[in-house]
Amino acid sequence: MNLVIYILAGVIGILAILTLVQSWQLSRVKGRLAKLLLQPKPISVSEPTAAELEARLKTAYEAKIVEATATFGEDLKGTSTRLSEQVSRLTTSVIEEELDSYQKTLEEVRHTAVEAMDKIRTAVEQQRVELRQGMEADLAAERAKLSAKFDTKMGDIVASYIAESLGGGVDLGAQMQFIMASLEAHKDEIKKDLTSGV
Amino acid sequence: MAFKLPGSVYSPSLIESVIYETGQYLDWYREAKVHKTVGAKAAEEPSFTGETVQTIEAWFEGKKPSVEGIEGLVAHLRGLNLPVVHVTMAALPNHSQRASLVDWFRAQTNPDVLVAFVTDRNLGGGVMVRTPNHVFDYSWRQRLVDGRDKLAGIIKNV
Repeated sequence: MNLVIYILAGVIGILAILTLVQSWQLSRVKGRLAKLLLQPKPISVSEPTAAELEARLKTAYEAKIVEATATFGEDLKGTSTRLSEQVSRLTTSVIEEELDSYQKTLEEVRHTAVEAMDKIRTAVEQQRVELRQGMEADLAAERAKLSAKFDTKMGDIVASYIAESLGGGVDLGAQMQFIMASLEAHKDEIKKDLTSGV
Repeated sequence: MAFKLPGSVYSPSLIESVIYETGQYLDWYREAKVHKTVGAKAAEEPSFTGETVQTIEAWFEGKKPSVEGIEGLVAHLRGLNLPVVHVTMAALPNHSQRASLVDWFRAQTNPDVLVAFVTDRNLGGGVMVRTPNHVFDYSWRQRLVDGRDKLAGIIKNV
């Protein structure tokens, strides 16, 4: 039994050693590989080959440039055309819309102004008529008032003159009949006041 | 006893006059009574207006006057509160005209009414009656004033 254990322990030990050795070798390989990657190895090409490669590369490059330039030119031309068309269309449409809108606004403003002017004209005319009617009425009232005042004054003057003229030669005897008739005609009013006024 | 003023006493001024003369009569009567009591000769009775005499006679109704009776008359006259009507005319009416007007007022309105006559030449004619609460103007001036519109029309047509 002990022998087996010793054998197994020996085998394990050998395997451990081998593992350590292989690990060390693997790390060395990795280090070399890293160094190789960091320091690319220059490719050495002969001069005629390099000149040929350069010539070919230049030709291919120029061809590609020409091709790309042509393509770009064509694209640019098309884009420019479309862009012009689009701009033209947009510009025309916008201008037309703006012009329409402007015309509508102008029309509305003109319509509003005309309406306002009509209203103002109507109001002014109405006010003028009212003013005229009022002035005519005032004038007529003032005329009537003055006329009535004149008539009153004239009546008072004439009445006073007549009464004054009559006052000098009063004959009560001749008036008594008139006086008694006047009293008789209003005796109820006088009696009413005398019986209720004490 | 309902005492009635004689018809001749128809105005406030006449009542004032009657009161004044009745007072004088009272003074004389009192003195005469004293003189008679002492056997002295009394002063001659002063003369009074017809209105005062009629009032005193109406007050005593044929009975003998007394100091108390005369004092009672004066007090009664002073206490009178009769309705007064002011009658304004263009000239002062004579006696008969006044009597007619007073009779008319007392017969047609109030038997106790007093009538005061006032003169205003400006009336021109007619009469203006002022009662305690109203003025009834039936004067010619008022008629002319009331008819001023007609007057104005006449003037305009002249």
